Amino acid sequence: MAEKKERENIQRQDFSRLREEQGKVVTGCQEQIQHWMKVESDYDALEQRLCSLPDKLSYDIMVPFGSLAFMPGNLVHTNEVTVLLGDNWFAKCSAKQAVNLVEHRKTHVKNILEDLHKVVKNFEARVGLTENLEKLSTGKEGFVDIREEVENEEIFTKGKHRTAHKPFSKPKVQEVFESDIENGKGSKSSSGILSEEELWARLDELEAEEEMLDEHERISFNGNINTEEATSSSEEEKEDHIRQLTHVLHNKEDLHVSNEDSGLRDCQLNGADQQHIDENDNEEENNIPTIYFSHTVEPKRVRINTGKNTTLKFSEKKEEAKRKRKNSNGNGHNFHELPKIKTPADIYRVFVDVVNGEMVPRKSILKSRSRENSVCSDTSESSAAEFDDRRGFLRSLSHDEATYSDASEGILEEEESSPSRPQPLPGAYEAFSGTVVEKDPVLPSTIPHLTITPPGLPTIPERKAEEILPEKPKEPSKRVSKFKAARMQQQK
Amino acid sequence: MAETIQKKLQTELEQYQQIQKDLSKTMSARQKLEAQLTENNIVKEELDLLEAENMVYKLIGPVLVKQDLEEAKSTVAKRLEYITGEIKRYESQMKELERKSDQRREVLAALQQEFQKSQNKTAVKI
Repeated sequence: MAEKKERENIQRQDFSRLREEQGKVVTGCQEQIQHWMKVESDYDALEQRLCSLPDKLSYDIMVPFGSLAFMPGNLVHTNEVTVLLGDNWFAKCSAKQAVNLVEHRKTHVKNILEDLHKVVKNFEARVGLTENLEKLSTGKEGFVDIREEVENEEIFTKGKHRTAHKPFSKPKVQEVFESDIENGKGSKSSSGILSEEELWARLDELEAEEEMLDEHERISFNGNINTEEATSSSEEEKEDHIRQLTHVLHNKEDLHVSNEDSGLRDCQLNGADQQHIDENDNEEENNIPTIYFSHTVEPKRVRINTGKNTTLKFSEKKEEAKRKRKNSNGNGHNFHELPKIKTPADIYRVFVDVVNGEMVPRKSILKSRSRENSVCSDTSESSAAEFDDRRGFLRSLSHDEATYSDASEGILEEEESSPSRPQPLPGAYEAFSGTVVEKDPVLPSTIPHLTITPPGLPTIPERKAEEILPEKPKEPSKRVSKFKAARMQQQK
Repeated sequence: MAETIQKKLQTELEQYQQIQKDLSKTMSARQKLEAQLTENNIVKEELDLLEAENMVYKLIGPVLVKQDLEEAKSTVAKRLEYITGEIKRYESQMKELERKSDQRREVLAALQQEFQKSQNKTAVKI
């Protein structure tokens, strides 16, 4: 503290001294300005006299006689003027010529005056600067020093740096990802901030798009494979977009893994949460109250709105399931490899939405008030196998329907669903056929709204009643198609 | 030991001060020359403004001596050259003096340190 005080005193002395010197310069300049302005006024008077002098041939004046007396006299030859040119040089010239000379001298004086004025201005600015500096250093004016102690000066990078998108990927994506976000010392802190904002904007864009698409189709009931594939691929891309964006904002290794798997992307993610935004903006000054700031990594939870009041939480299982879906090629007997799922009920437990911190079971996307007993499939990748079967069956059914493109993450099995239709479709274009199989009629009591329904089929409850019995004893461990299950039941 | 150092210090100090004086002299002379330079420039310009019919006089002591305009111009030009040459000479002189003064300063600093050390030693001894 003593040292600090000493330093302060010294600084104060220095500052006072500096201000003294500057004040001297300023006052000196002012004096010079005064002097030269007098000279200019004198020249003006002289010019006037020279103009009026040749008016008369001679003037009656009181001639100064010595230093104490005057005597009356005449001023003759009023047009002849002897001009002192400087350095003991004289020139005789007429009054008008003298006027020219005077004008010439006056320009000279004006130049000098201008220079002096400039100097004064500069020094006034300097004085202001020193005053500000003084205030800063002594902390009078509420300047606060913010410091962040950086212990580890190495750059934290989980994963590799991001690379630009390949040309074939969406141009929108390229916009987002070509902006490099780097870690470590905030040399790019400003650009990091900008790209973050860009990412959030992009996120919003994608969400809006998803909402729009959600209104069309929520489930994999696509009649058109091509559109499915296209939309699903686009959906996947969007998913990946979102994931990438959120990754940029916070670091999650599971997503990183999944992104590596995705064949659509070359982007890799930074540990971008280590944005030392404030590092470069520190003001290093002594004697200022300092706030020590440490950057903490807070993983943000991003909720993606994937449709009507559903949000998806990024979870490992999702990504695994997604990977599974991609890998599977319309295989009717996909095994769900999520280890925790023993019963179908587990599915619903696993794939839940995290809304406001609570676990809410996934709502059916097709669910509407009008269809009370409508059962819709889960919008996520809850069970690939079931989706495959149902997809094959229901695709034909939904030919009449508008093409629903997948809007949410979980509905992107379309591209996997090969053109192969695993099951024969009796009465594909009828209103309904008797072999419509519900997803989980076993659990109508528990989660009635999470079962699949072919859209627009009014007789579902009837069929449900029919099919419940045969489907109840479905094996939970092994996923079999509903048709097969039904058949097995019938056989039994 | 301390005494010899003190004497050395004294001599060095005097020399340094001498150099400083020379430096200031040359600086003031140079400033005068600069003023003359500007004046002669103005005279030259004004002479150019004049025409041949005008009579130019030069003040030599109490006498105004008539001069030819052309002569006057040439005289003024020569004076100007002379002045600029003088200024350059003075500038070089000043640089030399500055160099010398820097050398003296270093020597002085070293001597001062020695002196202080010796003084501390003597103080310790005592």
